Amino acid sequence: MEAELKRRIDERAEVLRVIKNDLITRLNLPYDPEDLHEDVSLLGSGLGLDSLDALEVILGVEHAFGVKVADDNIAILRSINSIADFVLEDRARRAGEVA
Amino acid sequence: MRTSPLHELLAARGATFAERAGAEIAVRFGEVDDEYRAVRSAVGISDFSFATRHRVPEAGLDALETYATGSVAGIRFGRVLHTMAADDDGLVESDLYIANDDENLFVFGESLVDDAATRAALDRAGAFEAGAEDLSASTALIGVDGFRAYAVMKQLFGPDVLGLPYLSIETYDLDGASVKLIRGGKTSEFGYLLLAPAGDAAAIWLRIEEAGAAQGIRPVGAAAHSALRLDGRFFNVHEEGRSVRDPLQLGLQWMIDFGGEACRGLEAIKGRRAAGLAKKIVGVVPADTDGALAVGDAILAGGVKVAEVVTAAFSPTLGGRIGLALFDAAYAYAGLDFAAKGGRGVRTVSMPPITPSSLTVKLDEM
Repeated sequence: MEAELKRRIDERAEVLRVIKNDLITRLNLPYDPEDLHEDVSLLGSGLGLDSLDALEVILGVEHAFGVKVADDNIAILRSINSIADFVLEDRARRAGEVA
Repeated sequence: MRTSPLHELLAARGATFAERAGAEIAVRFGEVDDEYRAVRSAVGISDFSFATRHRVPEAGLDALETYATGSVAGIRFGRVLHTMAADDDGLVESDLYIANDDENLFVFGESLVDDAATRAALDRAGAFEAGAEDLSASTALIGVDGFRAYAVMKQLFGPDVLGLPYLSIETYDLDGASVKLIRGGKTSEFGYLLLAPAGDAAAIWLRIEEAGAAQGIRPVGAAAHSALRLDGRFFNVHEEGRSVRDPLQLGLQWMIDFGGEACRGLEAIKGRRAAGLAKKIVGVVPADTDGALAVGDAILAGGVKVAEVVTAAFSPTLGGRIGLALFDAAYAYAGLDFAAKGGRGVRTVSMPPITPSSLTVKLDEM
């Protein structure tokens, strides 16, 4: 595997690992991390989380990654991958500001 | 072939028909992209009567626990479970909605097998011995999907319909016909299914068209629904389901109650789960917006094949092709760039890559 591809996979895999473990712990989901496909819908059909669960998810993401999720950012709750995208984009933006 | 109770009306609307698992489907009525856009920006009406429909009395609960992979016993009154049925090898056979309507459970199935095979699976589980009834020929199933679908339902059934939560069922009277209304849908826009007696189906279709005229309603066929499910990231048993079959590789673990009753195929699924996941599906788009992407395309990393496209369609919202590919697990991540045959670029993406219009609607605006 090419080094740059491996670096990007490792970075995303680590973010996904943290999100999945937090979801399972906070919401007491009856799944192993490997059972949660990254594109599974968090709301409605899929994991079927309600609005209180969604609030828990947001709090978990903010705590785990030191990010702030805007109140009107409902798109982040579409899937585990959409949360990971948000975290990685925030990380890239901050790295760009520092540079 | 089981024909739809709406056949003549659909034909009059210009439907092109095909057969799917022994049942008739309306594939399209005109330009597929126009039908797709109607759902994303207005409302579409569709015939889902190809799906199997069974009524199972409460006494058949154990039978359904044996038939479906999800927790049927856990479905609260008035709610709907989205789950699946597997074959003996633990491979996807049917995509199911199971609704708890007080004394009865209603089972709606989109299947890879024909009606006879579905009946045989339900019979083996003990559903007919418990009093189950096959409604597939005596009823019709009409879908109303779209950004403005809620407005059409409000006009037909009154403002209370807006309070129906996603995946729920309620009974309404429409011009003297008893209609089971399910809030559901697989487009990522507002969606409703109407289960009605076959003899009333055509009149109900016309009433929906009349109520939806101001919203720009138009008939929508199965081809447009395939694109809507794909870029809305809803499981499509007829596309990736048919190609991949393994519910774990398809990411359908949420449809399975791993600690539940010993349903058909569960032991085989658990065996593969314990062995670990070697492959799984990931969303893909061409690196260039106008690039090609087709079923069977090989995806390469360092010249080695790491994935194959299992379903693909044109997404009018994205303005380009989108698909799902079955990746080796080590490469199955969004946000990566790969090569495809002919030197074309392919990018993995988080699904769904669109923000549905319905997500922006607030209750006080409805």
